[in-house]
Amino acid sequence: MIGSQYSEKLLALKQRLQLETTLSAEELQQKYLGAHGVFTLLAKQITELTADERKLAGKPLNDLKMALATAILAAHKTTSGQGWVDLSLPGEPPQVGHVHPISQAMAEITQIFTSIGFTRVRYPEVDWDWYVFESLNMPPNHPARDEWETFFVDQAPDEKKGQMVLTTHTSNGQVREMERLGEPPIRMINIARCYRRQQDVTHTQMFHQFEGLVVDKGITIQHLKGTLDYFAKAFYGPGTKSRIRPFHFQFTEPSFEVDFSCHICGGSGISLTSIPQGIGTAQKCKFCKSGWHEVGGCGMVHPNVLQAGGIDPEIYTGFAFGWGIERTYTLKAGLAIDDIRLLYSGDLQFLEQF
Amino acid sequence: MNILIPHSWLLEHLEAEIEPKKLQEYLSLCGPSVEQIYDKAGEPVYDIEVTTNRADAMSVRGIAREVAAILPQFGVAAQLKPLATPKILPPTQELALPAITENDALNKRTLCVVLSNVRRVPTPDWMAQRLTAIDMNVHDAVIAITNYVTHELGHPCHAFDYDKLVASGNQIIICEAGAGESFTTLDGNSFTTVGGEVVFKDGAGQIIDLPSIKGTLNASINARTKRILLLAESINPEKVRFTSMTHAIRTTAAQLMEKNADPALASDVLRLGVKLYQAICGAEVASAVYDHFSRPNRLSSVTLTSKELLRYLGVAIPLNSAKEMLERLECAVEIAHDTLVVTPPSFRPDLSIPADIVEEVARLYGYHNLPSTLMATPIPTNRPLDTNFTLEEIVQEFLATVGWQEVYTYSLMSEAEAIASGFSLDTHLKLANPLTEDKVYLRRSLTPSLTAVVAANPMRQPLSVFEIANVYHPRANDLPEEVLTLGIVSSSAYRRVRGVLEALLSKLHIAQVEIETAAGSHEAKIFCGPQHELAGSITQNKANVAIVIRVRALVTHAQSHPVYRPQAKTAIIREDLTFTLPKQTAIGPLMAALQNLDQHITTLELSTVYNDNYTFTIHYHDAKHNLTSDQIAPLRKRLVAEVAQRWGGSLVGQLT
Repeated sequence: MIGSQYSEKLLALKQRLQLETTLSAEELQQKYLGAHGVFTLLAKQITELTADERKLAGKPLNDLKMALATAILAAHKTTSGQGWVDLSLPGEPPQVGHVHPISQAMAEITQIFTSIGFTRVRYPEVDWDWYVFESLNMPPNHPARDEWETFFVDQAPDEKKGQMVLTTHTSNGQVREMERLGEPPIRMINIARCYRRQQDVTHTQMFHQFEGLVVDKGITIQHLKGTLDYFAKAFYGPGTKSRIRPFHFQFTEPSFEVDFSCHICGGSGISLTSIPQGIGTAQKCKFCKSGWHEVGGCGMVHPNVLQAGGIDPEIYTGFAFGWGIERTYTLKAGLAIDDIRLLYSGDLQFLEQF
Repeated sequence: MNILIPHSWLLEHLEAEIEPKKLQEYLSLCGPSVEQIYDKAGEPVYDIEVTTNRADAMSVRGIAREVAAILPQFGVAAQLKPLATPKILPPTQELALPAITENDALNKRTLCVVLSNVRRVPTPDWMAQRLTAIDMNVHDAVIAITNYVTHELGHPCHAFDYDKLVASGNQIIICEAGAGESFTTLDGNSFTTVGGEVVFKDGAGQIIDLPSIKGTLNASINARTKRILLLAESINPEKVRFTSMTHAIRTTAAQLMEKNADPALASDVLRLGVKLYQAICGAEVASAVYDHFSRPNRLSSVTLTSKELLRYLGVAIPLNSAKEMLERLECAVEIAHDTLVVTPPSFRPDLSIPADIVEEVARLYGYHNLPSTLMATPIPTNRPLDTNFTLEEIVQEFLATVGWQEVYTYSLMSEAEAIASGFSLDTHLKLANPLTEDKVYLRRSLTPSLTAVVAANPMRQPLSVFEIANVYHPRANDLPEEVLTLGIVSSSAYRRVRGVLEALLSKLHIAQVEIETAAGSHEAKIFCGPQHELAGSITQNKANVAIVIRVRALVTHAQSHPVYRPQAKTAIIREDLTFTLPKQTAIGPLMAALQNLDQHITTLELSTVYNDNYTFTIHYHDAKHNLTSDQIAPLRKRLVAEVAQRWGGSLVGQLT
């Protein structure tokens, strides 16, 4: 064979390759590159050329080889993309567990307060009367104690600290935190289990509270308001407002009750129900009292409490707040849980939703 | 305490033009909270929460005083009307007052008068409507008047049957009861004293009244009563509370008196009472007025500087404005230089320290008018070292992510659960006053509660649940040791549960974890750290695997990050060997022994188990040189020999 014939054969083969549109990658491989494939055979024939002719034929032969590889690759991609697949199949879920809603609320509350410099602490759930009541300006038999339905532990009382009780609130952490630190500044968040002798759809014998305590020089009611506002916006959403109203607790003076604006009715107390014609009908909001939700109590720390914790009330002032986690959490949009006992039932149908 | 007040009744004491809705808003912002406004027969009735320190506001007049002080702050003119109770005129006939043996230590005041010719007439409509509006039962006028007067002025009074008193000697002895004395209240319930209750007795030692709480049947009015002794007394608050709580007799009178209602109010109560008995029942005053007032509330002055006001409020309030506000609350106020000298009225014993006065000024000024700002003081950095809340959250998130459910169960247990916990019943702390039988003992283990949760969810098997909570171990003469514990109960297979635990400990970068057990035992112990600290245990019972682990041990041994190991520069040779092992071979010790055979065996893991065949995945590695087949062959032989000689097992397949 002479060189020109070889070149023609190469060209013809290249043109033929361009017409091969229906063959699969495997078929192309077999037809051209198999042991008896047309390219394989042609490539072997190069030995029949003279040395000079071989030099000239080398490049087109190599080009053809590249073209073949590209064609096979392209054919490969086309075929695999054309098979029938069913993307309407449902996914196969991994087994997923759930962090308990109270833990989720605690984590969120912790995050909000630590971001403004509070330190989270943990104090006893079974404590002496001194820390739970007496150091908080509530001597034994004080009528204010009626509001705390207290469980007593069947143990001999301590001579100085009184009876052993289950903590009825997280406020036992107030004097304990003062004792731990010795002196201000104090910015504590204490989250714990509490216990009261009551049980119905809105009360469980065990529940959770979070307690804030700030003591330093120059702490005023304005700082309490600022902290409440910060929490309300972070926990319920940017538009939420807070307000404080006069109240009474033995361990704070002045004392307040805290309200957060209702996010369902936007704090108006009126929910608008639209009807098809586009005219709204105004109804009283079912979720709040006149646009506000009561969440709990707070106040400026009573001088007697500061003294009980070894802090000079002439130099320092402070504020404290303590609210139920269950109540605070279930005020979030969509969480109107009708029976609070579900939280502690261990019922997976309930827990899996969170 | 809540009090119901009809709008029209309030206006009898208040000069003001105000819409009920606005009154609700303003009063709630600066005073007692108006929780609801009810419509009762066309009249708005306020439902107001009065705090326990404010017995003075537990009356129509008390609320009117608050409203009159608050409305001007909102630009609404308001005035408390003067209280026009007429003086009690001298009697037309003179009946003998009872001989009263006073006890000034127990009683602050006794005030009474005899009324005769008391006609038994129905309660007039206007009064009946008001009593109905405040949810009180309406009896005939003789009884209704005492309830009406109490509600209007906030101090109780009681009508005795004068003739019953005369029949028993016309004597009242104020004293403490001994133990074991009996009395029957006017509603017919009988009680026995425990000793120490303040009572009225007659000359024969019979109890004839539970003063400041409730009347007794033997001296109260009945259908035949024509002459009454109208009496208001003021027993010591602690004594009232003791008696009322001890016998669970919780009356309006007791609630007022135990919260220190002002004895000075009794004068107006008696005058208003007499006026109503005269007007409605045609009664005549038949004795002089007896008044023994041994201990009026004499309240000390409280001084407050403008600096102190500023210290709490953060804004300066002119002392003149503060004075004006306090005077509307009937305080006597003087300004001396930079100081307010405040003398509270006798009905405000709650105002005793400067902070109390700050509260009065601040609430009238309006908390809503104070700015809101965050603290600019230094952030405290002294954190408790024994807790790590972030670690607890990592544990919760990790276990939930691998499919386990977090639960919260009660810290209190029934007797059966306490016994099931593995600790004897008498080593549990017990409640002195449990509410329900299923919550009596403070738990020492989380396992029974978690086991119950797994059992209660049969449709979710296999199920793994966990909880981080305290257990309570009693200590002599001290609070219990509260041990924060991670408890796990799972109905999955042991290997799966243990695998998750090991992965968790590895995620927390806890080094040197050892899980040790005796051959065939149903319990394994978990050790952590260089000191081989006991951190918890794993128990396998019929249905479940239970793990308890002290969170404190995790906090102590967890690291925030691993110790970095450079990547291997030489090849790791990995191969699987399968052995047939005799039944009841403890795999843990076998694996430990194989792993320790040679330093070049860097990892040895159990990959599959099929009948008695155990396949181990083995990594051979030398940090400096690539291992050759010739170097691995003798290692492999030693492994096979070890299994054969020490454990009686044989390799599946042939060594080449």
